[in-house]
Amino acid sequence: MPLFLKIKKKPIILFSLIFFQLVLISLQVPLGDEQTYFEKAIFFVFSPVQHGITSFFQKIGNLWENYFYLWNAQDQNQKMREEIFALREENSLLRYTLQNFKNEKEIEDYLSRIHQSFLIASVIGVDASNIYKSIIVNKGTLNGVKKNMVVLDKYGNLVGRVIGPISLKEARVQLITDNESGVSVLPQDKSAVGVVTGDAKGMCFLKYVLATQEISEGEEVMTSGFDSIFFSGIKVGKVVSITSDTSLFKKIIVRPYFDFGELDHVAILTLNSKEIF
Amino acid sequence: MKEAVEVGLGIIIAFLLYTILGKISAAFLQTFNVFTLVVVYFAIARGEIFGASIGTFCGLIQDSFSLGVFGVAGISNTITGFLSGYIAGKINVTPFARNFVFIFFMTSVELVLWLFLYSFIFSEGFNTGKGLIFFQPLITAFLGSLIFLLLRRIKTKYGKE
Repeated sequence: MPLFLKIKKKPIILFSLIFFQLVLISLQVPLGDEQTYFEKAIFFVFSPVQHGITSFFQKIGNLWENYFYLWNAQDQNQKMREEIFALREENSLLRYTLQNFKNEKEIEDYLSRIHQSFLIASVIGVDASNIYKSIIVNKGTLNGVKKNMVVLDKYGNLVGRVIGPISLKEARVQLITDNESGVSVLPQDKSAVGVVTGDAKGMCFLKYVLATQEISEGEEVMTSGFDSIFFSGIKVGKVVSITSDTSLFKKIIVRPYFDFGELDHVAILTLNSKEIF
Repeated sequence: MKEAVEVGLGIIIAFLLYTILGKISAAFLQTFNVFTLVVVYFAIARGEIFGASIGTFCGLIQDSFSLGVFGVAGISNTITGFLSGYIAGKINVTPFARNFVFIFFMTSVELVLWLFLYSFIFSEGFNTGKGLIFFQPLITAFLGSLIFLLLRRIKTKYGKE
């Protein structure tokens, strides 16, 4: 080995490692949203580990919870029976309403499509660099998860969409609170069209609403379906503040409906709106 | 071989802690940097080259689980690992108080580097988690020096026996 390399071995290794990572950073520029193969490989290797760890601790936690759960089982059972009764009633009424314009075969097909239209997924990881940007869920390509599938919380409010990398049993979901996200939306009265994007701090901005357009505080914002990713009518959030200055557009802040603290389970819509409806 | 097993174990423990903390509350991830702790630990034990290499590896794992530019945490952890190994080679950082100050300093360096690179690449502010992120060096140093003390005691005990 040349003397120069012997003396400068340590700085050379350090700069080589930094250079390698700078190359990785620059490789992402032409790829845009797409991840490099290297990043996908690391995700592919480590996401099952994360999945396993979460499942293991969830099972231990469940054992503990189940013990206390038994104490309240009778009360909960009674409440659930009442809830099931109400849901059955609602279900039969809806079936009856459907019969008015569809035959039995069509109704069965329709209900079966709805039943297969979503996957329940557990949140197994959050974004370490910024918790409001993305989450990792325990469903992947083996479960039929694909890029751009819509993700909702347990109340049906919009959470985000599936983005890469997607491994066999894990996938990353971009939250609507991410500043790189964009959702085409309409207010309740459909008076204006705008784009909801996150502030990466837990809130969202409603952009591109003209200063001349009418929109008020407290108004609900829903997806418009114009972006061809999120179908129309999904609840996004509520307008909490509107300010106008000399610019062309209003500055509108929207509080998303989904609660980050309650985001332990999500629903991934596996069919698009045309396939469901 | 023993070194490789030790490193692998260190990374798996860091990843395990990272997953558990994130599952309990996302705020823990902002206040306790387990990956930097692993990097500092191995840099003290094995020197700057080892520190830089494990820093690259841990940083890239961290990056692959977050949405952003792949390599930002990688670079900051690589530099932190190298610096930790270099300083630890010049000064004895084993006593508890010195260890605390050292981890506090190295976690601060990593945080500043990460924040600088993030702001430089994205040209925007970052989420400080209502200021929680600024407690990261203090909490990581406190927990880290306790963990290191515990590990030293275990090693001494097994060494004597």
